Amino acid sequence: MAPRALIAGIAGQDGTYLTELLAGKGYEVVGLLGPHPGDFSVWAARYGDQVRGAQGDLSDPESLTRALRLAKPDEVYNLAGFSSVGASWQQPVLSAEVNAVGALRLLEAVREAAPEARFVQASSADIFGQAEDVPQNEETPIRPRSPYAVAKAFAHFTAQSFREGYGMHASNAILYSHESPRRAPGFVTRKIAEGAARAKLGRIDELRLGNLDAARDWGFAGDYVEALWRMTRVDQSGDYVIATGVRHTVRDFCAAAFGHVGLDWQDYVVVDTEFLRPADPAVLVGDASKARRVLGWEPSVDFAQIVAMMVEAHLERLSR
Amino acid sequence: MTRRALITGITGQDGSYLAELLLDKGYEVYGIVRRASTPSDERISHLGDRIELLVGDLSDESSLLQCLEDAQPDEVYNLAAQSFVGDSWRQPIYTGDVDGLGVTRLLNAIRRVRPRARFYQASTSEMFGGTNEAPQRETTPFHPRSPYGVAKAYGHYITLNYRESFGMHASNGILFNHESPRRGLEFVTRKITDGVARIKQGVARELRLGNLDAKRDWGFAGDYVEGMWLMLQQDEPGDYVLATGETHTVREFCEFAFGHVGLDYEQYVVVDERFFRPAEVELLLGDPSKAKAELGWEPKTSLRELVEMMVDADMERVRRELALTSA
Repeated sequence: MAPRALIAGIAGQDGTYLTELLAGKGYEVVGLLGPHPGDFSVWAARYGDQVRGAQGDLSDPESLTRALRLAKPDEVYNLAGFSSVGASWQQPVLSAEVNAVGALRLLEAVREAAPEARFVQASSADIFGQAEDVPQNEETPIRPRSPYAVAKAFAHFTAQSFREGYGMHASNAILYSHESPRRAPGFVTRKIAEGAARAKLGRIDELRLGNLDAARDWGFAGDYVEALWRMTRVDQSGDYVIATGVRHTVRDFCAAAFGHVGLDWQDYVVVDTEFLRPADPAVLVGDASKARRVLGWEPSVDFAQIVAMMVEAHLERLSR
Repeated sequence: MTRRALITGITGQDGSYLAELLLDKGYEVYGIVRRASTPSDERISHLGDRIELLVGDLSDESSLLQCLEDAQPDEVYNLAAQSFVGDSWRQPIYTGDVDGLGVTRLLNAIRRVRPRARFYQASTSEMFGGTNEAPQRETTPFHPRSPYGVAKAYGHYITLNYRESFGMHASNGILFNHESPRRGLEFVTRKITDGVARIKQGVARELRLGNLDAKRDWGFAGDYVEGMWLMLQQDEPGDYVLATGETHTVREFCEFAFGHVGLDYEQYVVVDERFFRPAEVELLLGDPSKAKAELGWEPKTSLRELVEMMVDADMERVRRELALTSA
């Protein structure tokens, strides 16, 4: 019988990559969807019956239990959430309602309706905040430095406590920044890649950004969902840092993106203090050696390739 | 000018001791209470109209705004919580909402109404849970092992974030277990002293407990509320462990309690696995040296004195109850 997976957050960047991966492996995939799935249904149609939606929302425990009873999943992935660090300062309660308590509701529903299912929580490198250890690994102290990160720490600890308290197969994927052409507007990488494409097409003459010295460990979303799946394939659940181990600044990203289309980023980029976040986290770079050792996982796409892939995709979309 | 303090959780053990302390220091004291069908004010009824009670709930931000408008406090103490670790496994979502998100709601409301008020958050040693480091201090990484510990870790971190990002005078008191005659009967210490009083007076024959080897760092609640107040009197906010720095087992607590009335605990205590927690915390032992150095705070009451205070209070209460029922 085909293995079955349920994905919360199926319509997002990671959800669509994970769906492609699992569908390719012969899984039946059920995605939790709100009342207006719109584009997702169109996108998912290519998979026919193999990929379906079930109405459900992390704020509604009943809907989660119902979706789980319908899907009878072997694996449950929680990729849903409020993904903007900046907006979490404006709406800290809403951000925690979804990212913190939402993850807890889903774990409770799994415990009740699909207790044998293997659970993966999309945790975040942001839980390390201004880490003193560089690079960070699974033992690095958790010191979140934004309401988003505090909520993510709640979900991370909750998955651990369900693992330890109930013996559930619940893993945390401590994901470092991961990008792709499907990255949503609002993320800095998307903004730069799209900006470089627009500049190439002569449609803009400046791009306003925040702190250019902010450094990130950027990987490719398609690689990272592979790690999520591998976490369900090992006997023991656990926490895993998923990262490239290589750090680049926003400035490097600009140089690579504009350089890819033969432009000099310095002719376009303007620093705007409006985009500076309160307490911008310091240097996050991950040590994924546990994932390499236990899961046999490695990133396959490097920084230059990710940037090029993103700029190309936006050029093509904008030229259409 | 008279200083004003607002206390959430004023009907609880810590709230009632803190209210007494602040009244003694000349504060005007306001407390937030939930509107419940059964009033739970026995711990503060002796304070009568010396305190002002306001209706509000940590799950309702607008009610908190109103309470802050009414009290105009200089100091806010957030002591309200669903505080039972065991129940947090049965009510994890409620616990997360009140003990976790409730802190954010209260901080938001303070930022809007009284941004210069000083804020105290009741953090807890349960955030350390399964840590490998002992004793635990302010820098020890958290590893909560219950929905209660997880929610409290969230409250701790969000308090830290509001301090660092908005410059609020917001402090976390990481309190290890602190007990008193006003401890709820659901807590193991009070369950033991109540059991001792009932057995001694012939209305119970046994006492069913969970893991007797569980070790805790137990202090007296009356000492700990002094530490809370001291944190808000500092120029700079911070995080402080309040603990005795000693651990004792549940078994030792039983020995002291039964011994105080001339009984041997081994003849009465029955170990019942139903009371074991899904995930037991490792050794919790606090290092209060930062609080001693910076606040000049130290616990004054030994465990034996604490146990005897609790047994004496329960002996008296059970005696009164029996007198009432036989009258």
